[in-house]
Amino acid sequence: MKFKAFLTENGVNLLEKRFLPALDKMGKICHLYLTRDHTMFLHNLLNGDGIQSVAQFRKEALFDDYRISSQNEDRIAFAIDISLLQRAVRSSVSICTEFGSGLTQNRLQIKLVKKLPPNCTQSMPFLTFETKGYKSAVIQDVPISKPFSRAQVIELQTALDMAQDLPQTLVQVPDLNQLQNFVDRLKHVGDLLNVSISKYGDLLVQISTTLITVGAEFQKLLVIGEQADAPAEDRNLSAQTRSARAVLRGDAQSVQVSVKHFAKSLQCHLAKPDCAFYGIAPRGACLTVIFQFFIPGSRQTDKSISLHCRLPVLDPGSS
Amino acid sequence: MSSEGPDLVCEVDNVQGIVDALTAVRWKRQQDAVVELSEHGVVLIVEESSCLQAKVYLQRELFIKYEYGGAQGRPRFGVSLGLLVNCLNTFSVPAGGRSSSTIEIRYPGPDMQLLLKSVDSLDACIYAEIRTRIPETISWDYNFEPAGTTPLSFTVKSAALKEAIDDLEWPGSSVQIILQPDPPSVTFKGEGHGDLQIDFMYYVNTDLLIAFSCDRQVSYRYKYKFLQATTSNIPSSVIRDNRGSKLTIGRGGMLKVQHLVSVARPSIPHPHVDSAGYQQPSRIAYIEFFVKPEEDESTIND
Repeated sequence: MKFKAFLTENGVNLLEKRFLPALDKMGKICHLYLTRDHTMFLHNLLNGDGIQSVAQFRKEALFDDYRISSQNEDRIAFAIDISLLQRAVRSSVSICTEFGSGLTQNRLQIKLVKKLPPNCTQSMPFLTFETKGYKSAVIQDVPISKPFSRAQVIELQTALDMAQDLPQTLVQVPDLNQLQNFVDRLKHVGDLLNVSISKYGDLLVQISTTLITVGAEFQKLLVIGEQADAPAEDRNLSAQTRSARAVLRGDAQSVQVSVKHFAKSLQCHLAKPDCAFYGIAPRGACLTVIFQFFIPGSRQTDKSISLHCRLPVLDPGSS
Repeated sequence: MSSEGPDLVCEVDNVQGIVDALTAVRWKRQQDAVVELSEHGVVLIVEESSCLQAKVYLQRELFIKYEYGGAQGRPRFGVSLGLLVNCLNTFSVPAGGRSSSTIEIRYPGPDMQLLLKSVDSLDACIYAEIRTRIPETISWDYNFEPAGTTPLSFTVKSAALKEAIDDLEWPGSSVQIILQPDPPSVTFKGEGHGDLQIDFMYYVNTDLLIAFSCDRQVSYRYKYKFLQATTSNIPSSVIRDNRGSKLTIGRGGMLKVQHLVSVARPSIPHPHVDSAGYQQPSRIAYIEFFVKPEEDESTIND
């Protein structure tokens, strides 16, 4: 089992400034899953109850001179602490850029090693960062779990395949920051959030307890997938009534998720996506949020980067 | 829905100001408040153990629209203060890139709820319904009467008052407030685990003690936790605006503490406001606390 690659300048920027801060919010530990073509950061794919997040990069988005081999179709997976990884990348950057020279090629190598740590009798696996500065070279070892067995990798790949189902209707969130601000304040009101998404482009998020109902409705959002025209007779009804009628008509789905999970999913804006879409998976299996990244300076989707989260549904709701 | 109109439909353009004012009387997590509506405005009342009462006056001038349709008697309802504040807070999120949002407050809803909704954005709307209760009768009427012909009162910088009361936490339990005309001064004295005395001298610290009125020495003791409640949640805007708080001792030693909280339109900044400076008087929420003195034989009475 071998893995060795050089982080590119673009790769370092993506990880250090955008994805690692976002992924850190998803959970401390993630699975790093490396294949011949892709690098993936996976949260909660194997243990059921948390928010699942899948960040996938084509190898060219992050690395140069990417070499991977294993007896398991060149696939390697292990668990890693995101905050340690973030710290290692950050200090590597500061070494590379000392004297303000900027990052030049092939100075930040990352590889999988087995080492005997001090005061230990057994060697342990590490992801090692080797950074060459002008005057110094620094090696940082980030401890990782024992690499996955063949069966575990298959299990992870299966979970990953299952996490790819697309909702039939996706609506674009107009302003992630605004929604995040709102949801952060909602956290003080209750724990369970009802989310309704309609084919008309309506997104309704609402908390209801015995004492209070607070919600926000966004209308006329961009819809991807199945869409429909909002019936004119509904126009003057309250948001709640309209949503309930749309669900009855089969034009909307509604699920209940943890407000904490929803707030976490919004933290992904730290990865600086260009847009975000929410949708409810078929049969109300989960609430999915898909982030889209554009090729810098264009409105074209950058297919080498993808990020999406799946929020477990607490109550199958009306779907 | 009833055929009669609602008791109140009003609109607020500075939700944060209202949140600040209500937060000032939120001294613990679970507090039941009574809200009273009238043609003059909205009054929210909270109290504790018949020793401490606080009122927030939101006069109709604070609202950009105020339509009172209430009957003869002033409609009253009970509501959880914490829930109301947390709910209003969700509305203080800037909507659609705007710096502030306007909300409509309506009472009662079809099920006697308090209804709130944002009204200034067409495609995004925040709404809330808060369940109200039939209010309990206020157990103790805080009749505040002047102690004599000359009022016993002083006005102190809110920041200094808060700091003094915070410092008195260390001796704990109870705090004695002494007003004396000669030399004109106010003394806060805490005795408990130790002694701590804080003096505000009228002529020495003119920028701290702004006004002073007293014709004879008086001294009363107040429970520390009640005194602390009067300043523990003073909104930061009060400190920032460098405002003063007025304390008055009434008949029987009843202490009245008054704060002023700005509910100014957030889009009009007032860069050079000082305590005496220009502020639209109509854009101020008045907050009053009434604290009963401890029954104490050692106090010098009027």
